[in-house]
Order: sequence, then structure tokens, then C-alpha cells
Amino acid sequence: MLRPFPILTLLLAAFLAATLPLRTNAQSAASVTAPHLTVSLLVAPVEIYPGQSFTAGLDFKLEPGWHVYWINAGDSGEPPSITWKLPPGITAGAMQFPPPKRLPLGPLMDFGYENEVIFPIPMRVGSDFHPSPPEATFAAHVTWLVCREVCIPGKADLSVMRVAYATTPPAPSTDPGIQGVIAQFRSQLPKALPSSDSATFSSSTKNFVLDITGTRATSAQFFPLDETIIANAAPQPVVTTSNGIQLTLTKDENLQAPPQKLNGLLELPDGTAYEVHATPGTIATTTPVRTTDFSGILGGIALAFAGGILLNLMPCVFPVLFIKGLALVQSSQHERHKLRAHGWVYTLGILVSFWVVVAILVVLRAAGRQLGWGFQFQSPTFLALMAMLLFFLGLALAGQFEIGLSLTSAGGSLAQKQGYGGSFFTGVLAMVVATPCTAPLMGPAIGYALSHSAWVSFAVFTALALGLAAPYLALAYFPGWARLLPRPGAWMEVLKQAVSVPIFATVIWLVWVFTQLAGTTALMGLLAAFLLLAIAGWFLGRWPGKAGATAIAIGVLIAAIAAPIWSVRAFGAPPQSSSSATAYSLPPTASDWHPFTPNLLAQSRAQGKPVFVDFTASWCLSCQVNERLILRRADVEQKLHDSGAVLLRADWTNQDPEITQTLAALGRSGVPTYALYPADPNAPAHVLPEVLTPGIVMDALNSLPSANRQSAAISRPISQ
Amino acid sequence: MRHFPVLTAALLAAFTLSAWAVRVGDAAPDFTATDSHGQTHKLSEYRGKYVVLEWTNNGCPFTQKHYSSGNMQNLQKEWTAKGVVWLTVLSSSPGAQGYMTASDENAYMAKVHADPTAALLDPSGTLGHEYDARTTPDMYVIDPGGKLIYAGAIDDHPTTEVSDIPNSKNYVSDALTEAMAGQPVATAYTRPYGCSVKYPGAD
Repeated sequence: MLRPFPILTLLLAAFLAATLPLRTNAQSAASVTAPHLTVSLLVAPVEIYPGQSFTAGLDFKLEPGWHVYWINAGDSGEPPSITWKLPPGITAGAMQFPPPKRLPLGPLMDFGYENEVIFPIPMRVGSDFHPSPPEATFAAHVTWLVCREVCIPGKADLSVMRVAYATTPPAPSTDPGIQGVIAQFRSQLPKALPSSDSATFSSSTKNFVLDITGTRATSAQFFPLDETIIANAAPQPVVTTSNGIQLTLTKDENLQAPPQKLNGLLELPDGTAYEVHATPGTIATTTPVRTTDFSGILGGIALAFAGGILLNLMPCVFPVLFIKGLALVQSSQHERHKLRAHGWVYTLGILVSFWVVVAILVVLRAAGRQLGWGFQFQSPTFLALMAMLLFFLGLALAGQFEIGLSLTSAGGSLAQKQGYGGSFFTGVLAMVVATPCTAPLMGPAIGYALSHSAWVSFAVFTALALGLAAPYLALAYFPGWARLLPRPGAWMEVLKQAVSVPIFATVIWLVWVFTQLAGTTALMGLLAAFLLLAIAGWFLGRWPGKAGATAIAIGVLIAAIAAPIWSVRAFGAPPQSSSSATAYSLPPTASDWHPFTPNLLAQSRAQGKPVFVDFTASWCLSCQVNERLILRRADVEQKLHDSGAVLLRADWTNQDPEITQTLAALGRSGVPTYALYPADPNAPAHVLPEVLTPGIVMDALNSLPSANRQSAAISRPISQ
Repeated sequence: MRHFPVLTAALLAAFTLSAWAVRVGDAAPDFTATDSHGQTHKLSEYRGKYVVLEWTNNGCPFTQKHYSSGNMQNLQKEWTAKGVVWLTVLSSSPGAQGYMTASDENAYMAKVHADPTAALLDPSGTLGHEYDARTTPDMYVIDPGGKLIYAGAIDDHPTTEVSDIPNSKNYVSDALTEAMAGQPVATAYTRPYGCSVKYPGAD
């Protein structure tokens, strides 16, 4: 039993004797074992001499689960520190920190290192270095905090002695092992961002958006160098842009003013880290084209004009065109000379309302808000006012009262009743109801407009407005075409009343969207407003042109407008977070569809799965039509399932900066947008047209590389 | 219909909680908590007085720095003598470092001569989460109007060395001194330093 021991001891002693000289020289005096870690001072050169430069290292080897901290420790903890005692002539630079890991602790987030970390430290031996005994001692006092669930502070005095020379020795040597491990950690140190790339950030009330150009990565982590700038624990959603990436960082609650610079470290999935000193800037969704790219702008304008014309045929705008067409028929009898003027006033109404919305959008986006086209439909108050406007209009068309007669108290022909104000108003109405419909060709045009400078936005939207107005203007300018229209008669009254039906249908849709945004309690306010509108309409219809009745009607109208605004304030559902909002509008049967998050998109592609994203909103009629008629068709559903693509639905009903950014990365700014992301994270996404057909979807899925068609059952997104 | 007010109230409560960011300069979130003597404390009852909240964990070396030196006890005595309500908060979950039963905490306070107004037991972490307390120590100063006027570190030396205390600038004392003199608090927000608060599920 005891026999083997002497032999073992002997062997051990021999082994130790063999390794001891090297260890004494290199490490043993330089290493201290403390609770949960071993800390060592690493000096690779064997000889020290004047004029020498090398990199020393402070090495922490940690027990599993324990960590030491990065230069910014995050929510708790402190980084290690080192104080040197060096021979005269030798100087040490600052300790350098390799990129850390995010270390979550319940609601907190720390930044640090597990297992092993070596902090490289640049050393310089000056020409004034004169070793009196032929040796140099590198002594350091090191303090640290090592934590797992609990934290233990530690300190150690480390020293390494080396042979010293007054001149460069003939064959200076280094310890290759030490040299190697230091080099390994040194290679991980953050690099300066290439000069061709840029880092800018913009601030909104809650977030910073950090924009880095030049990287092809699809995910990244940002570690702030400054404390109390961002909320460390908040997730950092990443979107890819055409020339880089954008990270959304949550501001620290107590940050008073935006910083001059956003300093930190950007770590990419491959371990590359860049030191980032982002400067404030307005972040365009793609590289701002400062050089005047006329062909691009002309293309955008042409697309917008064509899209505007097509917009006239979309279900949202059609009812308004009915009204306009009616006016045309009425005026065609007597006042053809006024037709052109009316046409232009109608055009002006469309133009002005487009300009107003674009101006608001440009200003808000410059202020850092993540908004896209149709953003006004993300406001329940706006939806309520729209629904009321159309309801009141519907009442008038159905014959409860005459708008022109009561409100302007003017007599005369029908055409006169609809004065220039009426034409202007019709133009405004056409624009407003057109917003939720993205017609074919419009998507790329709007995306292009909003990603470029303000004047390009205005140019493109002006073209869109002119396109929308064009058919009516053409009728006004070519009376010959108007002659094709039937002569006015009693049928006009019938048609007018019939038009109230699609108007009321639109009201039903708006009320449905409103309820989704504001909740059923707020709905009571809106419905009460409808009742008040009906009462006001009755006053106007029963006593037409009477000042008293008009005054009462206006009073009731004000009450009606106040009701839903108040109810939204008082009972409106709290703004839902993107995930809950998405979950809310997802039909329970659509089990293949998952709520969109940028993480899930990146994660799925990283796992080698293609991703189909349906960008939608409940206020977007075109989206509903596509979803119900195309995406839910049995054969399309089967094909989507068989393709192995992960199906994500990005619900933009409420404002959602992550979705807005993802859309921006596709060059889009609104819904509907359908994007098929190939599994290869570097391959560009394929954006489908706004109006889907089964063939379009199937062809797109068929174009996927067949290797990707594996079963893709994914679980809930992993929340960090 | 009968459940409706309850539901609305719950919804509103959930909304307010999530929307209630602890920001210096804003109203400090109200709370009700039980101390180590079984007594209930409600922040709003201390209107008219300065209130200091001190997150603690007696196993944490950073907290120990301030207790073994007597620094924390001296602050407690100094400021409670001037009418300040000093509430020490224990948000460590059961089983975690710094978790104390009521009798343990009373014995501990007697032993180290701690002298806060009360030690609030918050093993569920509710109060800690409400204030977004991150470390021990993590300090909050609330003015007589109920406004949060300081949040963050106890001083400017984030170390565990007792010898650093004499050279440290104590942010809590500075905030109280400035506010009582009618001056704005010069340093109103700092990064708290110390061990992480041992919330449930944080290991």
C-alpha cells in the first residue's frame, strides 16, 4: 500500500527540480493564489536593457463562475487596478482591457471576465536605464474584486526579477510561453475604427441610436466606457443597414443632457472589437446621399407620381373619389369654367396636407424619433377624429343634412355650394384616407424619400400628391372626357346616398383599429361622440340655415370632438411594448408566425434558417388584404411551412423603433412590406411587392437555396 | 361589471409602476415597508422631513468598509440628530448574502452600534426594484417635499479600503448639507459602487 509512494515522491521531486529554474525565473515569485483566483505578473523578456519595449501582462485565472471586471464594471463591481514599483528608467503604460462579457445578475448587468483574462500593459525601458546590480525587479501592488453571487476584494504584491544589461545584449531572448499568452489577449484588444468607417449617434427621449458604417456583421454588443450613460441591462436591438449596423441603446434614467460623445467598445460576433467614439449626428436610414444623385431622385419622383395615380384605385381613396366625381358631374352642367380652378384647389389641398405631414415627419425624425409613413395612424386620437369626420360626412351624404347649406348658409346651385373651401377639404380628405394604403410603387418611393435629405422628401411627396390629384386634374383640363359622364339628374341624389355606405364601412374599420390601440373603455367615448354627431346633424338638417340651430350644432360638435380625446386620455390602454402589442394582434390560429424581434431575425439566420417577415399594422388595409387573401391561402400557407423559413410578423400598429429601423434597413418606411431574408446573414433580403399574389410569394420561396429547406420549429425568443 | 374598477385600478397601477422611472428631480416613489421591529413605514408619512435610503448587505465588503470603520454609524447618528429619517434597506433574498431575519438584524445593529431610524426588510426585492437599487451601499436622499435629490454612491472612493474614507467626498452628507442650506445639490447622481443587490433570482 505504501510502496508506490517513495517512487512517486522521487519522480515528483525530479520533475520539480527540472522545472524549478524556469519557473523561478518566469513566474513563481510573480504568482499569488488568492480566494477563487490566481493572479500573476507576466514578463516575457529574459533580459532587460535600455531602449527596450515590450508588453507585460496581469493574468487572472478564475474558478468557474467567478469573475473580475472590465474598466467599466457595469451596474456593480470594480475593475482591477495595478500600482507599479519599477527601477528608475522603466515606465509602465496603462493597463489595457480586452473586450468583456455581459454578466447578467437578475435585473442588473455587469461587464467582466470569466475563466481567464490577461490585461496587457505596455512597458518601456528608457535609454537612461542604468542597472546597478545587473538585475531589474518589476514589482506591482494589485487590487481586485472577484465576484460570483458574493464579492471578495483581494490584493497582492507581485514581483518578477530579470537579468539587466547596460547595453543591448547580443542575443536577447524571451519566454515563448508567456509571450504567446500575452499576444493572444493582446490580439483581442479593441482596435480603432477604420478611418473609412464612421460612428454617429442620435438621441431620443429614451434611446440612443448608434450607427456604425462599414461593418458587415448582423449583430453586435456595445459596452459603454462612460458610466451612467446607458441602462446597462437593457437589450441592445441591432438592425443592419445598407452600409453597416444600428444599435438602439436605452438611456440611463438619470442622464440629464446627451453626452458630447458616446464612448465605448463595439464587439462583433467573431470577437473583433472596435473602440468607438461616436459623435452626435442625424442618422439617416441609409448613407445620406449628399452628392446630388439626380437619376436616383428622378427615379424616386417618377415612382411616386405613378404610385400616386394608382393610389386613386385603392379601397381607402375610392370613396373620396366618389364624392369628387359627384361634384364633377354636378358642375359639368353650368360651371365648366370654374372646373379647372376647382381642380387646382383640390390639388392644393392634397399638396398642402402632404407637405404638412412630411414636415412633421422630417422634424420628428431629425429629433431622433423612429417614425415612418403612416405614423399618424399610430395615434388613437387621430384615428378617433378621422372616424368622426367620416361618420359626419356619411350622415351628410345619406341626407341627414346638407353640409354646404347649413355651415356656409349660402344658397345657389350645387356647384356653388361646394366652394373652393370644399374642394380644398376634399383634397385634404383624399390625402388623409390615402395614408393607410400603400399602393404599388409607392413603398420604394417613400422609403427613398425618407432616407434622403428633407428637400428630396418634399420633392418625392410632391410628386406623390400630384399623382394622386392627376386623374381629377386631367378631367378638369380635358372637358371632352367629362362629357362621357352622365348628365346630372335625380340619380345623383341616389348615388350620393349610396356613397355613404362605403364611407360608413370605412368608419367601421377605423373604429376597429381605434379599439385595438385604445381599448374598449375608450371606445365608449368614441361611440358617444357618434351619437353627438348624429344629434348635431339632426339640428343642421331640421333647421337648415338657422343661426341658432347652427350654433347648437357647433356646440354639440365640440362636445363630440372632446369625448373621444378625453376618453383616450382617461382610459386609453397604456402604450404596449412591442412584444405584447404583437402578441395581441396575432390571431391564435397562426401558430407558425412569431412576433418579430431583430434578435430573433439575426438568431434564426445564424442558425442557417431563412426568415420571412410580414411587416403589418392593423390600420393598414393593404396589409389586411394581403394577409387574408394571399398569406392565409391554404397552398401559400403550406408552401411557407414547407420552405423551412421562420415566419415573423412585425406589427407596426403601435410605434416601434425596432421595426422602423428594420424597415429602414430594407429601404422602406412603411407597411405593407414583405421581406425574405436568406439564411446567409451576408446575403441581402429580397423585398416583395406591396400587392402580393400567390405566385409572387411562391416564386420567392422557390428561389431559396434548397439546403435551407429544413424543418424550422423555433421556440420563443431567448430574452437576455 | 363588478370587477371592472378593480381591473382598471390594477391596469393603472401596472402602468404607473412601469412608467415610474426613478429620476433625480422627480417625486420619489412612495412605498410601504415593514421594519425589523414589525412596524410599518410609509414614505409619504415622512413628508416634511429629509429621508435617506441606504441599501445594505452586511456580508458585502463594500458595506463592511463603512460599518467596520464606523463611518456609516456616524452618518446615521449625525443626520438623524438633525431630524433626518434614515432608513436602512435589506433587499437580499432569503438564502442570499445579507439576508437577515428581524431578530438577527436587531442583534446585528446592536452589535455594530448602527443607529438608523429603522431597518426595512425587503426580502422580495420590491422596494429595491422600485428604486432600481443596484449595489450595496446604494444611497438615496429625498427632500421634505418628497422629491428625490440624490441617488448613487455613498462617496467618491469605490474601494473596500477603510483607509480611503478620510480622503473621500461623501455625496450623501454633501447633498443633505446643500439642500438644508437651500442650495441646489451639486452632485445629484453618481454611479453607485459596491456588491450587486442580491435580488431573488440574481444568482
